[in-house]
Amino acid sequence: MIREGSIRLPFAYAAGKSGSTYLRALQEEQRILGSRCSACDRILAPARSFCPTCGDAELQTVEIGPGGVLLAWTERPDKGILGLVKLDSADTAIVHRILGSSDVLSTGMRVQARFGDASDENPEDSLLGFAPEVADS
Amino acid sequence: MRRAAIIGTGQTHHASKRDDVSQPELVREASARALLDAGIDAAAINAVVISSMELFEGRALPELWLGEAAYAAGKPCMKVATGGTSGTSACIAGYHQVASGMFDLVLVVGYEKHSEGNTQAGMAIVDPYWDRAVASGALGNFALSISQYMADTGVTEEQAARVAVKARRNAARNPYAHLQMADITVEKVLESRMLAHPIHMLDMCPQSDGACAIVIAAEKTANKFCDRPAWIEGAATRHQQPYIGDIERRLTTMETLRSAAKEVYAKAGISDPRRDLDVAEIYEPVTYAELAWYEALGFCGQGDAGRLIEEGVTEMDGELPVNPSGGVLSSNPVGASGVIRVAEAASQVLGRAGEHQVDGATTALATGYGVYAWADALVLRAMS
Repeated sequence: MIREGSIRLPFAYAAGKSGSTYLRALQEEQRILGSRCSACDRILAPARSFCPTCGDAELQTVEIGPGGVLLAWTERPDKGILGLVKLDSADTAIVHRILGSSDVLSTGMRVQARFGDASDENPEDSLLGFAPEVADS
Repeated sequence: MRRAAIIGTGQTHHASKRDDVSQPELVREASARALLDAGIDAAAINAVVISSMELFEGRALPELWLGEAAYAAGKPCMKVATGGTSGTSACIAGYHQVASGMFDLVLVVGYEKHSEGNTQAGMAIVDPYWDRAVASGALGNFALSISQYMADTGVTEEQAARVAVKARRNAARNPYAHLQMADITVEKVLESRMLAHPIHMLDMCPQSDGACAIVIAAEKTANKFCDRPAWIEGAATRHQQPYIGDIERRLTTMETLRSAAKEVYAKAGISDPRRDLDVAEIYEPVTYAELAWYEALGFCGQGDAGRLIEEGVTEMDGELPVNPSGGVLSSNPVGASGVIRVAEAASQVLGRAGEHQVDGATTALATGYGVYAWADALVLRAMS
């Protein structure tokens, strides 16, 4: 015998200090924030409250991007294109949506952040994703 | 630290759906077989370690309501949950309990019953701001890391497909394996559906229902119950769980696995793993990962993994057979998968691996891999 069913699972999630700072800058100013670690001198993306490797070393919030380099990408029929993007001046990459067609993508190409309006429930959606940089003609 | 050994193993038949049994019955099936293999009574067990990723079967607190199925009633019992490494981490926790002098006989049992839950939903219960929309699930992350690994090393889709062929053909000789495909070919792998470029359906592990258990004994007890115990010569676990982009070339570098392997090789006196190991059971959730692990584990030089699989070094009749059981690519009940690696490595050393026995195997490696970059490693050895 098998019983089938489903359970609704509401949740609340605190973005925290560094997360809220990052999300506010994204939503209100279309700026992307990272954190510079005073010990390893790396700029971590996105902004965070502690360096993953340097204990309690002090962090300083800095602006990164909005341009960057596409390190790798993949396409899923169900989720679109995902890319690993290293934003300008950052030392670590982030995973995000890549906008447009995969036909024009190549590893190492320049990409630019694309911003849009997002609700207060989903402030992270202010960053729509990244699109190949249009060359100046 | 006392010496400790594995003296018995047991596993269930793994399948996409084991709806003939409840979750406790599945756990009892593997646990009972491990006790039988070890030749001990349930009453002799001092403590139990359970491994599962509880959200994957939609049932909370398995250590609470599965304890009795694992013979833990009235005894110390705890759960370990570290993604794919859960099983190997649980085995290492059990080893620590025995080696520390705390207990003489510990049963470790891992299980997962994916068919009763929703694994994708379980994996979606992650940070909604950073990970949920773009990163939940293993596929996209693997694909990104794999494309970098291919660019770094020149590994090809054909070479990865050979790993899938080796695994499923080996599995055809393992009565417990989920995916047994004696007639699989490189062409069939390459023709299978593209999940996320460059990962084809047959490059990826399945989701399985199944359980696996081992019995770990302190030195005197091990020698009393077993004439050829699988001594645990070294065990190491490495945690690393940052943002995904923090490790830029994950498969190429895999620092956690390199570090864990270095520690257990040093403890076991292994200087040339390809020569000194007789068999390895490594945690390969995707074909490309097995190739990357060859390099991280020192089976070949950096960038040489494609050639290693082409030359047949890791086939059953090769110099260092890797995953005679068929590996995670053939059976993957997540909470059990790491225990299966350890149990299969132990069975090889105990000389009880049946049709997929590597003749005369004395020294074996087992590894675990979880989430983005967790790694475990154990070396088992029989005294000749």
